[in-house]
Amino acid sequence: MKKILTVLGLSAAFSLAAPIEGYMQTLADEAKKADAGFSGFDAKRGEKIFISEHIGKKGKSISCASCHSNDLNKAGENVFTAKVIEPLSPKANKERLTDIKNVEKWLRRNFNDVYKREGTALEKGDVLTYIQNY
Amino acid sequence: MKKYLIMAAGAAALITGVALFADDDERYERRVYEHSKTYMQTNPQKRALNEFETTYQKECGSCHMAYQPEFLPKRSWSKMMDTLDNHFEVDATLSPNDHKTILAYLTSNAGDSKYTTKHFSRMSNSVPRDEAPLRISETPYFMKEHKGIPKRFIEQKEVKSLANCSACHTTAEKGIYSERAINIPNYGRWDD
Repeated sequence: MKKILTVLGLSAAFSLAAPIEGYMQTLADEAKKADAGFSGFDAKRGEKIFISEHIGKKGKSISCASCHSNDLNKAGENVFTAKVIEPLSPKANKERLTDIKNVEKWLRRNFNDVYKREGTALEKGDVLTYIQNY
Repeated sequence: MKKYLIMAAGAAALITGVALFADDDERYERRVYEHSKTYMQTNPQKRALNEFETTYQKECGSCHMAYQPEFLPKRSWSKMMDTLDNHFEVDATLSPNDHKTILAYLTSNAGDSKYTTKHFSRMSNSVPRDEAPLRISETPYFMKEHKGIPKRFIEQKEVKSLANCSACHTTAEKGIYSERAINIPNYGRWDD
């Protein structure tokens, strides 16, 4: 019984640290590997990634903000399907940035949709920093 | 302390869930089957979502309505799931586990599956056998049903396209497309 409690206790301890912090660290390690001069993520760079427009996968000029809106505390609307997208900022939407699997999936998809390629660790870290600090 | 216990219980439940999910294929198939068997027999408004539907709703329903699988034949869904990297020019790729779950859900409830109802499979049944359309709106039955609708109703910003079922079919998400439940934005009820 004691053993079981210890195991359960350990798994509880694991879930205490916010998963997003672990993920940001992974991205930072990767960014450092790619560029030894890496000195941390930057929300300003992240903002530029988020609001600048590019010819995306559909051949239309779009940005992340096209669907998520310029105000991250407000709901957005999918520019192609009109489906409402809940606010992206964790301040306005507690569920945001809690599920890493979900975060990775959307970064992969949306970078492809807007930039027609996946984001680098630096870009992903920057844009997440922008969202976290919004 | 109480908080830790709750968390521990949560972690334990999660581990059990993963273990169940990672069970062998046979069991997996059976669960799809059990789901399908009851799917159309239960009142859609009261029916609780199972894990297949939950995954489908979460993954596919985050960008567009989670279309009822009955609307397309199996061959369409297979093709759809094979081309998610370019899903109507959007990246809709999934994790391998979610991909497996959703493919199983869609094909076992497709319009030509044995669990569908006659009423619900009219769209799918209208598709010629050698075709596998990816757009529900390109099936002959759908086109016939939406023929008389002026373009301006479809293209207005509240609707955007024929893919946005729930813009006019107010109960579309529940699988109810009756004429009584139609309400076209800036127009109102639609009578044939």
